[in-house]
Amino acid sequence: MDAVQITDVTKTFGAVTAVDGLSLTVPEGSVYGFIGPNGSGKTTTMRMISSIFYPDRGDVRVFGRQMLGARSELIGYLPEERGLYRKMAVQPLLEFYGELRSGRKVTAEVETWLKKLDLAKWAAQKVQSLSKGMSQKVQFIAAVVPAPRLLILDEPFSGLDPVSADTIRSAILELRRGGVTVILSTHDMQVAENMCDYICMIFRGKKVLDGTLASIQDQFGNDTIRVSAEGGTQFLDGLPDVEKVRDLGQVQELRMARGCDPQQVLRTLIGRTRVNSFSIMKPSLHDIFVRIAGPEAGEANLAEHAA
Amino acid sequence: MQSTPHRTAERTPHRTLQRILLIARRDYLATIRTKAFIIGLVVAPILFGGGFLGIALIQSKPDIKERRIAIIDGSGMVATAVIQAAQEQNAKELFDKTTHRQLHPRYVFETLPPAADPKLERLALSERVRHEQLFAFIEIGPTVFEDAPPASSDSKPGPVATYSNAGGFDEASRWLAEAIDEGVRRVRLARLGVDPTRISGALAGVKVDRFGLVSRDPKTGEIREAGKKNEVAEFAVPFGIMLLLGMIVMIGSSPMLSAVTEDKAQRLVEMLLGLATPFELMMGKVLGALGTSLTSSAFYIIGGTLALSGMGLSGMVPFAVFPWFYIYLIADVTFLCSWAAALGSGCSSPQEAQQLAIVLLAPIMIPYFLVAFVMQQPNGPISTAMSLFPPFTPMLMLLRQAMPGGGVPAWQPWVGLAGVLAFTLVMVVAASRIFRVAILVQGKTPKMADLVRWAVRG
Repeated sequence: MDAVQITDVTKTFGAVTAVDGLSLTVPEGSVYGFIGPNGSGKTTTMRMISSIFYPDRGDVRVFGRQMLGARSELIGYLPEERGLYRKMAVQPLLEFYGELRSGRKVTAEVETWLKKLDLAKWAAQKVQSLSKGMSQKVQFIAAVVPAPRLLILDEPFSGLDPVSADTIRSAILELRRGGVTVILSTHDMQVAENMCDYICMIFRGKKVLDGTLASIQDQFGNDTIRVSAEGGTQFLDGLPDVEKVRDLGQVQELRMARGCDPQQVLRTLIGRTRVNSFSIMKPSLHDIFVRIAGPEAGEANLAEHAA
Repeated sequence: MQSTPHRTAERTPHRTLQRILLIARRDYLATIRTKAFIIGLVVAPILFGGGFLGIALIQSKPDIKERRIAIIDGSGMVATAVIQAAQEQNAKELFDKTTHRQLHPRYVFETLPPAADPKLERLALSERVRHEQLFAFIEIGPTVFEDAPPASSDSKPGPVATYSNAGGFDEASRWLAEAIDEGVRRVRLARLGVDPTRISGALAGVKVDRFGLVSRDPKTGEIREAGKKNEVAEFAVPFGIMLLLGMIVMIGSSPMLSAVTEDKAQRLVEMLLGLATPFELMMGKVLGALGTSLTSSAFYIIGGTLALSGMGLSGMVPFAVFPWFYIYLIADVTFLCSWAAALGSGCSSPQEAQQLAIVLLAPIMIPYFLVAFVMQQPNGPISTAMSLFPPFTPMLMLLRQAMPGGGVPAWQPWVGLAGVLAFTLVMVVAASRIFRVAILVQGKTPKMADLVRWAVRG
């Protein structure tokens, strides 16, 4: 069974169409990542899955059921904007949220998660005394107690230090191994590449990419050269059939024009400087994102992907 | 793939009620555990009753400084009689008969002949008043004995005038006017050959006792004598219980505005809306506030009853209206809290929410302005109509019901209650529709037209 099925969903706010005819399927047990620029419709889509918003048109199904107006203990939701009662102590707050979602006492689960995320000694402290990282861990626990079947995480790593981010990442993957379906949104392309089984890019309310990382990259072919050459970018100008040079510091990425011969590029480059490494590869997710949503992206390009 | 049982009781009435009660419990406990609530329990009655306390304090410390009055007697015959009447009046009320404490100022008089230039004389006396050598002066004209003295106007004074620099509520001038009246009357009677001491007895007022109505005991058939009317019970008890209702409703409902706005500003709402529907969230908050109001009311009602019983005034406790008090309290808090939540959900800052408090509390404030009118004519057509107007019913019907012998027809409270319940239901539905939409609107304040559209269409 698919965890989520969205069919031709549109959501407008006044004159603004936040989500426009969106259809997608989230397979059960997968990690499904939403990427896209700010204001593209990711949060609105996740809110519709969580039944916080109702679609103006179309159908949203969670585990095969329409969730219109209902709140389900099957869904754990971590909003982008963190919201905790600052004057409540950590454990009573988490028990309140857990009981609200499940309708039963969740003391044992809360204690387990507090230990797991190294927050046990803060259980009796008020939320306002916690650091930002600890508050985010508390918010994460609120989303996963009691264990949901579908976990929706809006920017779960935003503002986290590497240690806290690793803790949350491990927890998400552990839940996934337990069969939980995870939908997350992120601006970090590395997170999307490394964690997500499926990636969906939404741009201006429309789906422009959807599939596994490999299938998305296949759409663009092996059009990227990663090169490390002495002298860096100064010898890369004017290479034949190279549309764009992206300087990553120690290495540079070259985007080749359609029909470009990489051997010709290599020969030209060797003629200019000493080449330390040269590899032909598929474009990174970051590069694909920029091609679609960056300033260079034209309407024609967008229409091609949205089609 | 892990197979988890598909638990889908999310929208059953039981789960809805459970969520509402959970939110209510959290909000209730969060409120009553604050110092602000505990302090408010004590401070609110002081603030509301402060005016009465202030008046009582002022009255307990009267101004008893001697007051010197100059009289210019243009008639040449009245000053002595006026002074005598004033001194008699002064002697009667100067001291408390039990405690012998001085309650009123002593009046001292000096008589002046009319000067050649009355304007200059008035100016000189006015200067003496300004320098506090005199409290006031009286000018008695020569026409004071005419049967129909010329009517006074702003430009042309009448036959007698008092001059002082007292404010609008000039109690001393009123007091002096009574003394002048009595003095002039005595001289007029003397001129007619009537002995004023004999006539004063003939004109003495008759003491009238005020009673309620006689009734028949429905069980024994025995005629029950009417009870003597008690001014304190007639005014203080109905007004007090209405004041208490308004105060508790305000304490319960007005914080909701800023609380919802604060939850929205702190982004708590989105988290909560992932766990409960907007209706459940709003009703949970309303129930929490209702719990707070009931706690406050229990504190005041029990405290007030014990205090009156301790003073031997338990007969003044209006036990019969207590059930109505609580029904009206529940309806009013539910209605106002729903709207506070709806309006608060449309605001982007607590400051903005506070500006709406006056609009929200209009159903409480307006009845306060109608108290005097309703108490004078509790069963008049306007009082009846206003108390059957649902937003005002809790306050005004309660006031009428609490008046001893108010004689509110038995059907009126029930019709009023039906109106209040229907009105509350409609208002809660409309408020929940606004709340559902407005609570997630960020960065802009909805216009009145938006609120109306959301309330009607959802």
